[in-house]
Amino acid sequence: MLAKYVARRFLASLVVVLGVTLITLVLMDRTRGTYVPGIDLNPALRPEDIARLRADLGLDRPFYIWYITWIWGVVHGDFGRSMIDGSTVMSHILDRLPNTLELTGTAILIGIIIAIPVGVIGALRHGSKADHTLTVVSVAGFAVPQFWMGLILILIFSVTLEQHGLPWLPSSGAYSAVNGGDFIDRVEHLILPATVLSFFYMSTWSRFIRSSMLEVLSQDYIRTARAKGMSERRVVYLHGLRNALIPLVTLIGLELPGLVSGGLVVEVVFGWPGIGKLAFERALQYDYTTVMGVTFFATMLVIAGNLLADLLYGVLDPRIRYS
Amino acid sequence: MSRDEVADDKGFEQFEKFLEAWSRRDFLKRAGAAGAYMAFLGGAVEFLDACAGGSPTTTTTAKKGGHVVEGNFSDIRTLNSMLSSDTASNQVIGLMFDGLLNYKANGDLIPALAADLPKQSADGLTYTFKLRPNLKFSDGQPITSDDVKFTYQLAYDPQYAEVSSPRRGDLSKYIASIDTPDPQTVVIKTTQVFAPFLASHGLYGILPKHVLGSLSAKAINTADFNTAPSVTSGAFKFVSWEKGQQVTMARNDNYWAGAPYLDQWIYKVLPDSVAVTNQLKTGEIDIGPVDPGQFDALKTTSTVAMREFGVPTFTFYAYQLDPSKPAGPLFQDKAVRQALLYALDRQSIVTAVFFGHGKVANSVEPPTSWAYKDKPQVLVNFNKAKAESLLDGAGWTKGADGIRAKNGTKLKFTMITNAGNKQRESMLTVMQQAWHDIGVDATPNLIQFPQLVSQIVSIRTFDLFLVGFNWSADPDVSPLYHSRNAVPGGFNGADFKNDQADTLLDQALNTLDRTKRKQLYGQFQDLMSDLQPSPVILFNNGIYGVNTRVQGTDFGPFNQFAQRPWNHGVWVTDGK
Repeated sequence: MLAKYVARRFLASLVVVLGVTLITLVLMDRTRGTYVPGIDLNPALRPEDIARLRADLGLDRPFYIWYITWIWGVVHGDFGRSMIDGSTVMSHILDRLPNTLELTGTAILIGIIIAIPVGVIGALRHGSKADHTLTVVSVAGFAVPQFWMGLILILIFSVTLEQHGLPWLPSSGAYSAVNGGDFIDRVEHLILPATVLSFFYMSTWSRFIRSSMLEVLSQDYIRTARAKGMSERRVVYLHGLRNALIPLVTLIGLELPGLVSGGLVVEVVFGWPGIGKLAFERALQYDYTTVMGVTFFATMLVIAGNLLADLLYGVLDPRIRYS
Repeated sequence: MSRDEVADDKGFEQFEKFLEAWSRRDFLKRAGAAGAYMAFLGGAVEFLDACAGGSPTTTTTAKKGGHVVEGNFSDIRTLNSMLSSDTASNQVIGLMFDGLLNYKANGDLIPALAADLPKQSADGLTYTFKLRPNLKFSDGQPITSDDVKFTYQLAYDPQYAEVSSPRRGDLSKYIASIDTPDPQTVVIKTTQVFAPFLASHGLYGILPKHVLGSLSAKAINTADFNTAPSVTSGAFKFVSWEKGQQVTMARNDNYWAGAPYLDQWIYKVLPDSVAVTNQLKTGEIDIGPVDPGQFDALKTTSTVAMREFGVPTFTFYAYQLDPSKPAGPLFQDKAVRQALLYALDRQSIVTAVFFGHGKVANSVEPPTSWAYKDKPQVLVNFNKAKAESLLDGAGWTKGADGIRAKNGTKLKFTMITNAGNKQRESMLTVMQQAWHDIGVDATPNLIQFPQLVSQIVSIRTFDLFLVGFNWSADPDVSPLYHSRNAVPGGFNGADFKNDQADTLLDQALNTLDRTKRKQLYGQFQDLMSDLQPSPVILFNNGIYGVNTRVQGTDFGPFNQFAQRPWNHGVWVTDGK
């Protein structure tokens, strides 16, 4: 039953992938004008050079021919080469995927670890001073733009601390330029971007947990559990929290593509060599192949994330069965 | 190291040592002691301020070892000198590949792999290069005339037509043949006299034939060599390219000018100019280009020395001159074009938008060029009254709404530039105001860079565009002003067509004698100062911040990006 369900979901997702990639291509193609990716205002280029480079990239053909050629390649496992630097798109994605997973994975983990207790405290003591304080912090979390928070953290923890001769944190990159890359070095570089990103996750999720927890705690079965004389700890954590976490699973499942693209703004501000930054930069340069490759990849993750969330429901809630 | 040890027992003297030893890299390792300096903050802030900068130790003799980290905004695209067309790639290629020739700071040619400047035949068609003796690639293989020929073949020989080289247009037009009578001699025959040939095409990094020679033309486009060159001919050799992050290069012991002092040169990709400033301050990068707006923020940093020099980079705007386009008819009269320029207080633009780091342009040639004419025939200085009288004289009179009109057509148009470039955005605002003051209705419109490029090189429905451009060392400016480049794909997007200008530019291209060329470009500048088809607003300054521990850099107008004949002589005082 489950296998059949997954197979059907997979087939349906093919339509989604085709739709999303086609729309991406049309949007790029319609706004590109006659720009040839990788060609700047370089006086050494002659008109015939620009025309030849355009043809070399296949941009002298209509977009649907380009699309069919691209799909044909993808079906054969070939995502093509970047229009900007000639490297394979796959190598770009694989080069940056570990960096992105490192950043967003850490941020999501920290986000969950902090959001759950914050949400639970907010629900158990709703209306209290602690709840109000946490609410203010959470609202700040999604109200404050990530790029601004990033810049402020850089100013304080990188520049200002250094100017005062104090130990400071690096402001960009995933590791030091010189002899970098060991564990401690990577963690140092991770602190500031992961803080900004996890603050956002924490704020969003803690609000959800709080309201979901409030709802669950007012249910009849909670009253029953209390009436049976169950300890408050068991009531809250066994009966309450487990049920309250179900909506969070959907949210986190939907964050799976965020594992790849969720940190876009943070990656750009901190010069973090991840997939979000790659997609952002290459979209501005009309690097069709790279943008299409990343789009394809991200779409697959959205589908997988949704599927995973649905399947996890079954684990968390025995009433749900797939057919 | 416990809190007590540092804070209570050892005192300031110890604490100073403690701070010195506390490198940023050890942040977490020493996080346990973090409380120590916190305890100090209360009483020791003044002390900390006092020791913040630290004076650089100056050693006069260069020493071996250490690294330099250079920051920039763009990642590179390729490391193949025959495929690259962007500044970032060329800059990194310049560290790893030498050409036959190189530039001095003023743009004059000097020999690099060639032993001397080439001998030129009397008819000006043949260049004979002698290579330096005992040249070697980084792998120890000799660099011979075959490698030089092979490098150029990639971009001119029909056999390599499938190589996607942006240089094919010029090279296939001008190179007739390349002969290699012996391993040290390269004879390049050109099809016609072309004055900028050496300055434009004599500097490409020489590639190793023994690595790439066996590949087909198509395979060269996607060769591993383009992203990870195993063999180099310049001061440094390739170590790694971590995309989006950095390119690491190491000393090439076989370099002809002597092995570099540095162990490593690292090219680091940063998000923007603010990050460059921040990391110059923190010492995360040693060298970086500085935005004029950040100049003052860095000037006071004692560990960073500023280098500033004029460059052949400029910002200009172009009028739509094609009469078939909507705004074309507005700008046909040169009085209108001159009047608009007279109305601009360009010195204020340099002061307000570039914080004084630039130079108002009197001419279309950059002041860094030997062909520059400081006082061309018509010298346009800010003069609002003159602007108004020119427009009045041309029949553009103010209507009831304050906007000038002629025969029912209002002097009203849109100005485009690329969004995100703050300086250009500000300039459009200044222009809007200045022209509004003389009764001209100009509206700024910000578009994405690719759309702007499309507008300039092919679509061309704009009224007026503002953009920057960068010349090479040769004073040829035909890409912008020759009518043959008004075709689709050419950079003469304004559709400026003038027979006299074409003749002067062509003559100057076919004249080898510099004195005669200078005269021709002088006449051309006089002509342009009168016609003003696309006025240059200002010439920029190149600004670099260099950490004081780095010695031996010598940035200049033409020794800024790819051409840095001094790069092997750079060294660091602390050997780190």
